[in-house]
Amino acid sequence: MANVLAILICGFLGGSLRYWLGEVIPTGAGFPWSLVLINLLGSGLLAWLSHARRLTAKWPEALTVGLGVGGVGAFTTFSTFSLTTVNLLEKQQWGLATAYLAVTVLGGLVCSTLGVWSARRWWGLPLVEP
Amino acid sequence: MAALAGLGAAAGALSRYATTKWVTGRWGNRWPFATLVINLLGSLLLGLLTGWHWGTWPTVILGTGVLGGFTTYSTFSHELVMLLDQRRYGAALGYGLASVGGGLLLAALGLFVGLRFAG
Repeated sequence: MANVLAILICGFLGGSLRYWLGEVIPTGAGFPWSLVLINLLGSGLLAWLSHARRLTAKWPEALTVGLGVGGVGAFTTFSTFSLTTVNLLEKQQWGLATAYLAVTVLGGLVCSTLGVWSARRWWGLPLVEP
Repeated sequence: MAALAGLGAAAGALSRYATTKWVTGRWGNRWPFATLVINLLGSLLLGLLTGWHWGTWPTVILGTGVLGGFTTYSTFSHELVMLLDQRRYGAALGYGLASVGGGLLLAALGLFVGLRFAG
């Protein structure tokens, strides 16, 4: 029940923040920057949160689930990413569509990797000596 | 408006949590089926909703909110990195292509069908 409540509260904040950033970040030269930034930032954060066990072990479970599934999960989005790419393809903006796909997918991989790596390096649980 | 998107996103995130629990309980979590199904279904529905074009409010609540919060990019990217970390390159490639390629096809299909319904 605590998990559900945490997901609802964090999901509300994550979704509102995504909407707000979409309004304030301009679409520079037809390139949908806001969602790129949102998805890359969120990818790094979620990966970090999933592996920073030394930190999250001290938190209530609901906080970790709320922030990860609710907050970052609702902040980032896949459906708008798909539809934006389709819109660019429909307008025959092949270069922009390819750049958008590549930056999101490759950038997402880099950010997730950095999140996992930094969390394991500095916030991971120490190895138990046998 | 941001609060409307937030309310929808809270409902979407909770549905994603429930769907993931149900799918992993049934089929396990060796392969990230749950996120794949969620992201593909969400892309199809957002295409439909956008093509249909009900107006600003429903688009913000249901599109930006519910479907935006239901689908997720951060988990997709993290699962992809975990498959690569486990050296399951075939699974990673399959998951990446199915998500991105499938998402594009289904969003386009939804948009097409939605535009038809819009009349």
